[in-house]
Amino acid sequence: MLDLVFKNLWARKTRSILCILAVMVSVFLNGTTLTMNRWMYETLTSELAKYMGKIFVQQGGSSYPPIDSSIKQETAEAILARSDLGVNVAESAPLLFIRIERGMMPFMPAKLMVIGVPVGKENVLIGSVEATEGVNRFPGEQGDVVILGVNAAESFGASVGQNVTINGQPVRVIGILKRSSMDSVNISAIIPLEAAQRLFAQEGIISALLLTPNDVNKTIEIGAALRENFPTLEVVTQDDMLAEAATVMRMPMEYMSLMSVTGLVVAVAVIMSTMVMAVMERTREFGTLRALGGQRRLIVGMVFAEALFLALIGGLPSIGFVLLVSRWMNTSPPNVVQLLQVVGFAVVAAVVAGLYPAWRAAQVAPMEALSYE
Amino acid sequence: MSKIVETQDMWKIYSLGEKRVEALRGVSLSVEPGEFVVIVGPSGSGKSTLLHLIGAMDIPTRGDVYLNGMSLSQMDDGDRTELRCHQIGFVFQMFNLMPTLTALENVEIALRLAGVGRSVRQARATEVLARVGLADQARHRPAQLSGGERQRVAIARALANRPRLLLADEPTGNLDSANGLAIANLFRQFNAEGQTIVMVTHNEELARYAGRRVMLRDGQVVAQ
Repeated sequence: MLDLVFKNLWARKTRSILCILAVMVSVFLNGTTLTMNRWMYETLTSELAKYMGKIFVQQGGSSYPPIDSSIKQETAEAILARSDLGVNVAESAPLLFIRIERGMMPFMPAKLMVIGVPVGKENVLIGSVEATEGVNRFPGEQGDVVILGVNAAESFGASVGQNVTINGQPVRVIGILKRSSMDSVNISAIIPLEAAQRLFAQEGIISALLLTPNDVNKTIEIGAALRENFPTLEVVTQDDMLAEAATVMRMPMEYMSLMSVTGLVVAVAVIMSTMVMAVMERTREFGTLRALGGQRRLIVGMVFAEALFLALIGGLPSIGFVLLVSRWMNTSPPNVVQLLQVVGFAVVAAVVAGLYPAWRAAQVAPMEALSYE
Repeated sequence: MSKIVETQDMWKIYSLGEKRVEALRGVSLSVEPGEFVVIVGPSGSGKSTLLHLIGAMDIPTRGDVYLNGMSLSQMDDGDRTELRCHQIGFVFQMFNLMPTLTALENVEIALRLAGVGRSVRQARATEVLARVGLADQARHRPAQLSGGERQRVAIARALANRPRLLLADEPTGNLDSANGLAIANLFRQFNAEGQTIVMVTHNEELARYAGRRVMLRDGQVVAQ
């Protein structure tokens, strides 16, 4: 009887197409929220992975990036002066983080940042990322110069030798970096620490001290020693950052999940209303099938088949859109299980949406075929 | 010869809110194989209710109806559906064809419900369509057919499973007199070939072709 199912859907093609479009949007919404959740998780964990074994010393504000944290530079220097802590001083540096453009949503990372780095300690932040243009290290001068991450350069629309305006002051671009695996570098304007403090009136203040232990296996012990010696400061290891990241991400991820459930409810409502209308219009047809010897299960099967068809035709192309979104968001494509989850979403929507119309259709008595109206 | 249909003191009472409507009041009736019986009577006399009960679409409130000796009251819905599928053919006043299917596919529906395989059902549907004179219109959809042609398709569908009993509810009620006459002739032809027919009609022309006329009034058989 599948041909009858398809022919009925085709006979009501405007309604069927509108229903399919609505399902498509709902399934796309579901798939996109899954992708968004994955993107947030991957971005944060990959970002934090770069801090393997490192320690942030800060005060107030979020764990990463420590934008709202504020400690005195002299405190940071006092920590670096402690040779007993087992810190690799050459690979450690006080940093000043200033957010100059927020993310698209409150829970998203900053879109553009200024990071103040002491001259000679650029490697602590930039690592081995090379410059596509200009230099990747400050040439020793203490002037108002900036090295731009790849996204920051696009955002400013600047090239080497030009001035960009940061906090109302002109700053000369001396280098543009290649894309880094750390997004915090890509979105940053990296300025000598003193210049950054001056530009933002933060003289003597830093956001955090980034420490690299001499022995990465001693991170926990160093963290404990720092907490004991500097009880007013927050000592944040990579594990702490991950734990806080999980806490911070919980709300947006729950919000995304809520959107996903909303998508399911919308898909169910659309399919169900389409099917209920179809069942009401086809009372005589179902009555005729019953009168001719069609069992209730056949009628139920036909209604479910229609609901499933609408859901799958709407749902399957959405997988393509979800793949496009994941490519656009530069995140890893959904794996087979996740794709099946999206298809499963459509199937669940169809089954839930088909229950009531199928029950209603199965209740049609064969006598309905004999009614004259 | 065993009776195809037998009703014994059959009552059908509907409850409409607090009101009880006695649609049938103690109807006893039997139909022999090969008979052509018409049920006549004024509106509200219980003709359609009687047809529903004989056609295993409903069960009586009291009394019983037997088809080929089997009590319908003792059957569950699934068994009655099975019985309708294999032993009863229905012709409706409004034709009740599936608008999205061709004439051939409409006839095939009855065979598909009976689980007949594709090649057999196509052959049989084609044959029965030819018998009602619609071999050339097999690929037409109901909207492309006249009222008389639609009713022929409906008759072909009713006969496709070679039922022992053909039930018709006002089969000419929606047709002009010429088409009504043609349909009446078809019924007479099938009856002449041995088909048992029970028909509800207001059409006196059609009633004249029947071997027996059952008159219902106020839910009771008043003449036969």
